Amino acid sequence: MQLLEYAIRGVPTGCVFALLAVGLVLTYKTSGVFNLAFAGQAYVSAIVYYELRKELEWPLVAAGVVSILIVAPLIGLLLERVLFRYLRSAGSMAKLVTSLGLLIAIPEIAKLVFGSETRKNPPPLWWVRRTDEWLWPEGATFVLDAGQIATMASTLIVVVGLVVLFRFTNLGLRMRAVVESPRLAELSGVDSERVSMAAWMLSSVLAGLAGVLVAPLFASLNPFDLFTLLVAALAATVFGGLTSIPLTFLGGILLGVLQAVLAGTLPTDSVLTNGLRPSLPFVVLFLLLLFRPGLRSTRELADPLATVDAPPPPPVVRARPPWVATGARAFGTVAALIAFLVSWFVLDQYWLGLAISGLILSVTMMSLIVVVGMGGMLSLCQAALAAIGAFALAQVVQATGVPVVVGLVAGVLIAAAVGALLAVPVVRLDGVYLALATLAFALMFQSIFVPLSWVSGGAVPISVPRPVVGPLDLSDDRYFLVFVIVCATATALVVIRLREGTTGRFLQALQTSDVAAASIGINGPRARVVAFTIAAGIAGFGGGLTAIDLGQASYEASFPYLIGLVWVALLVSAGARSIQAAVMSGLFFFLFPALLDKLFALPGNWVESNPDAPSWVASIANAVQPTWAQSVAFILFGIGAITYAKHPEGSIEAQTTASINALVRRVEARNGDREQAPVGAGVGPGAGGSTP
Amino acid sequence: MTMTNPRQRRRCSRGIAATVLLATLALVVSACGNSESSGGSTTIAAPTESTALDQTNVPVDQPGVTPTEIRVGGVASVTNPLGGNYGEAFTGAKAYFEKINSEGGIYGRQLQLVAERDDKIANNKAEVEALLSQGDVFAVLPIATLLFGGADALVEAGVPSFGWTINPEWEGTPEQPKANLFGQNGSFLCLGCVQPQVPWVAKQAGATKAGVLGYAVPQSSQCADGWEKSFQEFPEAGVEVAFKDSSLSYGTTDFSVQVSKMKDAGVDFVITCIDTTGVVNLAKELKKQGVEAVQFLPNAYDQELLEEFGDLFEGSYASVSFIPLEVSDKPQGMQDYLTWIEQVGGTPGENSIVGWLNAALLVEGLRQAGPEFTQQKVIDAINADTNWTADGFLTGVDWTVAHTGQSPITCTPIVKIEGSTFVPQTGKDDKPFVCFDRQTKSLDLVSQ
Repeated sequence: MQLLEYAIRGVPTGCVFALLAVGLVLTYKTSGVFNLAFAGQAYVSAIVYYELRKELEWPLVAAGVVSILIVAPLIGLLLERVLFRYLRSAGSMAKLVTSLGLLIAIPEIAKLVFGSETRKNPPPLWWVRRTDEWLWPEGATFVLDAGQIATMASTLIVVVGLVVLFRFTNLGLRMRAVVESPRLAELSGVDSERVSMAAWMLSSVLAGLAGVLVAPLFASLNPFDLFTLLVAALAATVFGGLTSIPLTFLGGILLGVLQAVLAGTLPTDSVLTNGLRPSLPFVVLFLLLLFRPGLRSTRELADPLATVDAPPPPPVVRARPPWVATGARAFGTVAALIAFLVSWFVLDQYWLGLAISGLILSVTMMSLIVVVGMGGMLSLCQAALAAIGAFALAQVVQATGVPVVVGLVAGVLIAAAVGALLAVPVVRLDGVYLALATLAFALMFQSIFVPLSWVSGGAVPISVPRPVVGPLDLSDDRYFLVFVIVCATATALVVIRLREGTTGRFLQALQTSDVAAASIGINGPRARVVAFTIAAGIAGFGGGLTAIDLGQASYEASFPYLIGLVWVALLVSAGARSIQAAVMSGLFFFLFPALLDKLFALPGNWVESNPDAPSWVASIANAVQPTWAQSVAFILFGIGAITYAKHPEGSIEAQTTASINALVRRVEARNGDREQAPVGAGVGPGAGGSTP
Repeated sequence: MTMTNPRQRRRCSRGIAATVLLATLALVVSACGNSESSGGSTTIAAPTESTALDQTNVPVDQPGVTPTEIRVGGVASVTNPLGGNYGEAFTGAKAYFEKINSEGGIYGRQLQLVAERDDKIANNKAEVEALLSQGDVFAVLPIATLLFGGADALVEAGVPSFGWTINPEWEGTPEQPKANLFGQNGSFLCLGCVQPQVPWVAKQAGATKAGVLGYAVPQSSQCADGWEKSFQEFPEAGVEVAFKDSSLSYGTTDFSVQVSKMKDAGVDFVITCIDTTGVVNLAKELKKQGVEAVQFLPNAYDQELLEEFGDLFEGSYASVSFIPLEVSDKPQGMQDYLTWIEQVGGTPGENSIVGWLNAALLVEGLRQAGPEFTQQKVIDAINADTNWTADGFLTGVDWTVAHTGQSPITCTPIVKIEGSTFVPQTGKDDKPFVCFDRQTKSLDLVSQ
């Protein structure tokens, strides 16, 4: 009987999960995008509703209509017109990376537009100031508040409406056809442009509705809270196979019920409970991805006509003429030498510290090159693997007193071992499913393992000393810089060796065609497991270096999963196959916000030193705030990922290709040599060198 | 038309922003928000009475010290996307400096907050290093950050550093006391320690059965263990822990099962180590299930929180780390704070109070160190102070022990929420705080 009581208590929360999960599934069904930016879109509508309802004191209906039925679909329309219309035939990775970019950029844009002050007590979509001011039925065993009633009613209406839409209307059928193949749909007379716009507007309305309904669950409005709730709801989307609205609804309800039943029945103070209860949604997600019948054999939504598209050009480093390769190598060496000398002699402690952190992050980014660029697997758990390397290093050094360098090696090995264990089941999944499985692993690691003192050290992070290597005490940042450069170079050589070796070529073949690769005897899963394991080891290496740099192995400071998502967006947008992109991304992540900080401080400083400046000039200058730096940096990181749609090879590689092409053309024109073709336009790998 | 009311200004600017966004979206063009103009210059009133500090100006060769200035810099989480906006700590520090400067400064020098660094993300150590390497600062204050990865760098540099004790890195150990890190009311956080004020409050509330809740994250669960031990070590309160759950998922919004179980167990007093969203949802659920339980809220001294959710917490208690602003007989330090925080356009609240207290402790250290002050002399002078009260704003910090432990006599200001206001609870001698002697293991109130 008590079990039933707990189960019933879980239903309202289950409805919240169901609403968010149905929103994700709707977007996936109608656009082919597993839209992680759903939380960002929801946040914008929630802010608009807050401002209209609470600050401007608009009536409920007017505020609801504007925020959910006007603002939300316009955002959807904007996203479709500006971005996703170009991605209709793209693979799941391009779409997922774009949505990652939006997830990062949208909340920061909203903060710049509406201000970043704390918005307490978000108003419910009801005629009361707070959800608990309207209870029904009062005094009963099970009482619902205004927010729960609004959410449950809305979820039911949405589910029924969507089932009707997809089962019984032409629009629903057309939406599915356009997702399957916009080109085939057009051949059948469907206006794919209009259908796609309608689909994005509809899914965006649902995001807006979810944002407004869910916001009152929190004491204040925060995009991070909405995203956390969204990732908890991911299990329900997988329960529905990313396509079935009724099953997704059921999955959400079951998740809420299971959570409540476990909270009611498990002992409240055991190790098992401490790990299982907070991680339940992620454990369920991970298990569903591995074992849900039919999921592994279900191919992702893919355009049947995509196979007639031309394959992507080879990386520029493989196709450039020998003289360009030699020149690039010489230029790169000189540039690196100058950068080193500047770091050694010019930079102060702060900028030197940022440069070191950036270089270390570039090591972790190289793990993404292996797993994403070479393996074609969008791993969202590299930050967790880096954390494993850091914790292993810290624990080994603390427990045994071995030199830090030995601990670093132990961290690499342990991270690689964990990566191998994870890879065995995960690499058999496809695109978005693999991304979700790795995200689930990252979240499980955060919920189950990070709180354990034998892993993370508990409330106080474990200290990690700087090593002494021979005569060099690396507590001097300049010597540590040299050490990090050596480590980054060694990692780059490993990655290049891997890329040029058998495994690299197997992975390249697998990216082109699984079936063709298998037909010539390539063991796809084995090659992917090897790549995943090596990438995990590299991530662990980066994590260990981060701990040494920071002086402690701190999950919160260095490895939160959300930061890991930003790394992925940054690296993929710069170029997931390029060492140069990894180094630039790492440096960019740390140096760019600091540079923006300086830039945005300039106008205010100018006003201070020019008190006689005209008041209108001063007011404009004072309007520029250094506190914009982080937001603007994140917006640009996000926009970088959005450009992935246009340049799947990455912006740095695209720019490099364009520069080399221009150079080759200029040289050809000067030499009168008409025979050489431009790089990236059909010249084979054998045409040039193969160094980065 | 001028809008002097900040709330009115904010509404107008938000309205403009909302209108701009709607218009922008309607045209399906990319958004380009207008930046709102920030407030104008601040005029500081002349001091009403002469309380000038020592004006002996002798040459001092110390970082950040010139013949006319003593420069300090601070770091606070302002735009960290993971949460926490503690920027008002800067305003509090500036308010105190304005007060001192209006009195002529100290040792003939003006106090200047020359750097206000934003902690951003994952960058605390870098921002601290920036202060040390670029700022040319004598001291680092305020430090109000979500994470405190720069603690070791500050300890190594030996720079006097003052901040908000919300990170365990503030704590020292007998082997490494971190003698130059000063929290606003001591540096010893001690999450799992026994706190006699907890059973005392439960006893005051007439409670007999307590419920303890915490998240399954190290700091929160340690804190929950501490509350449980507090009841166990003071059985004279007559309160038993009838329900404890320290396995909550961080960010959970549903407490229906926990409240149901507490109801079944007859819990009439609830104490938590959870965030604001958690305590609000817990209070809503208690109301829904008709559980008449008093809450003890360690982190709820927030006027805005009270405005929004005060009725949910009617009859509950909160602890405060300084003398509550609601006391009728305001100590001098609080009067000065309220005057000067208004002068600089700041908002009275915990964050700005922390900045104020940090600045006050630095000035006290300078005063004790004398005209030929050095960083080490300031650190030593503060660490010799056995009763730092910031002119009555604090219950008294014994800095000879406050880095690594707690004083035998522990004093805590407690407020009760009544009619959506904080009502300070009085202890012995009508003081606005309660004190206990840890060594006696008794809940009898003692004098400070």
